[in-house]
Amino acid sequence: MMIAIRHFDSILEALDGGIQDLPFITMSHAGSSPPSTTCTFAEFLASAEAFAHLFQSHGIQRGDRIVLIMEQDVPLMASFVGAMLLGAVPTILAFPTFKIDPSKYRSGLHGVTRNIGARLVAIDAQFPEDLKAQIALTRDTEVIQTSEPPRPAPSKIKWANPSPDDVAFIQHSAGTTGLQKGVALSHAAVLNQLRHLAERLQLREEDRIVSWLPLYHDMGLIACFILPLLFRVHIVMQSPTDWVLRPASMLQLASDFRCTLCWIPNFAFQFLAQRVTDEDKAGLKLDSLRAVINCSEPVRTQSMQAFYDAYQTCGVSWTALHSSYAMAENTFAVTQTTIGESVPVRTIWADRSAFQSHSLIEARKPEDDAAVPFASSGRCLSNNSVRIVSADGSELEDGRVGEIAVHSDSMFDGYFNRPDLSEEVLKDEWYFTRDVGFILDGHVFVVGRKDDVIIIGGRNFYPQDIEEIVSRHSAIHAGRTVAFGLYSEEMGTNDLMIIAEVNDPAILVQRIEIEAEIRRSVVAEIGATPKRVHVVPPKWIIKSSAGKPARSATREKFLSENS
Amino acid sequence: MDIETDALLAFIKEKLIKSRAAELTEDTPLVSSGLIDSFSLPQLLIQLEKITNSRIPTGRVSPQDFETVRRMMEVARRLGVRKA
Repeated sequence: MMIAIRHFDSILEALDGGIQDLPFITMSHAGSSPPSTTCTFAEFLASAEAFAHLFQSHGIQRGDRIVLIMEQDVPLMASFVGAMLLGAVPTILAFPTFKIDPSKYRSGLHGVTRNIGARLVAIDAQFPEDLKAQIALTRDTEVIQTSEPPRPAPSKIKWANPSPDDVAFIQHSAGTTGLQKGVALSHAAVLNQLRHLAERLQLREEDRIVSWLPLYHDMGLIACFILPLLFRVHIVMQSPTDWVLRPASMLQLASDFRCTLCWIPNFAFQFLAQRVTDEDKAGLKLDSLRAVINCSEPVRTQSMQAFYDAYQTCGVSWTALHSSYAMAENTFAVTQTTIGESVPVRTIWADRSAFQSHSLIEARKPEDDAAVPFASSGRCLSNNSVRIVSADGSELEDGRVGEIAVHSDSMFDGYFNRPDLSEEVLKDEWYFTRDVGFILDGHVFVVGRKDDVIIIGGRNFYPQDIEEIVSRHSAIHAGRTVAFGLYSEEMGTNDLMIIAEVNDPAILVQRIEIEAEIRRSVVAEIGATPKRVHVVPPKWIIKSSAGKPARSATREKFLSENS
Repeated sequence: MDIETDALLAFIKEKLIKSRAAELTEDTPLVSSGLIDSFSLPQLLIQLEKITNSRIPTGRVSPQDFETVRRMMEVARRLGVRKA
């Protein structure tokens, strides 16, 4: 049955009352017995109240910011809601991996807590011991390690009564930890977004969402936690680590629990097509999936086709393959393809040279040699509008490629404590995304980025952050490095490429060692693995007229020499 | 070194390594050094299971267990369930 979409003033109002005893979160624990545990909505709320009580005992009050760093499990979600019950403002940061350099982790965390003025950082019992000693912060920020589960609240917690304009929570957007921007979202923005999204998805009471997506990412947090939280939809969740090690496990969960909805980035469509063995595929029944939504990276027709080819025998249909264009700054989705259309993700073919040289979409037939495909991300949700804007700020007509600007009633209030950054991107209530795309017949197509942001597996990296890490190597000429993304047809996402100039040509005999050291430090600081680190002699990198490394020209030089 | 370790090293060298690496041994760090990325872990897991003829329960292993070939072989011995 379709869910009746009601109006609420705050997220908390939506949590109060209603049906309490249905399954809310099923958490998969691969290799454990039992292999999964399920809590009802009432049990989840009791756990959230226990966290609220714990936070209250540490002096947390309305408006205080709380940073949560926990493994992907029910306590992370319950503590998030627990903070909101007090009117406090939670934010989730990524759980540290073993690859991370402890001192970098410390300074990154310090940067985030200082920027949002966090009162409390809550870590769980699994937080690595060696890092724990590193994260003592300032006098203003207390670090607590929570037990699982926290002791039940001794009496009913008095829920806050936030107004629609109060900040509900903060999402952290792209950037190295510490330089990440805190996207502050009001209750009204979140509720508007979820109403429009539920309407477009034709959300039903019997829907069930399967997800491995990390909760520090908007797609994991909003689509796979806050949406089902608000509408009491059942979530079947696993940790990103379990999924990465055995991608088939997500499909097995979808099959076992007859899940209906899931969101994954473009690379995962291809990853699932390539990395699942026939043995793991046998017995999968995926016909219950009514929407598998491609989001967080530019949508590629080839990746959707690869997924369809791999899983049509398991019951996946074309009508179930969808796409969406979303960003934390808009709470989540701006567009979403329409449920029930025979081909929801429209692909158009356009002339390659008109696109590359004139930013113009001229229709071609797929069999044409000069044709390049673009996949739609669907139409705008209610109360969301998109404009395509030229470099001089004027609005472009359909079929012209330019920067995507968004206007909606689910927009962020600005980057927390960073009015300077907010001013750069918010103009007359339009958010300038720096994404590049075009509109055709009401469909939004996203083709890339205006700045050189590198999107790898749905995560955004700024090249300047990577170049700064590389520049610190003693053999490398500071400031003479270039990082860029190179789309990999095989992976369905970008490979990270790095070019670095040495100070002295004599040191090139140690090229292999230098490349290995750069590789190691990039992994330790940003967690992404370079596909190629190319150490080159002085003056190899092409400079702009301003004397800075020119990324695109250097990229072209690298490609012409390495094709 | 045993045959299983040799086979795993050969697979990593031929299929997964992304750079002109120095020598690869059973103690060479693989993930933290950036020689392989997390997208390669499923292939590595499948290969480890194939070589040791076992099934490894993923919930009980972490990416850190794939840091070296020696560690992977230990994990397979400790947690692998032999296939019939």
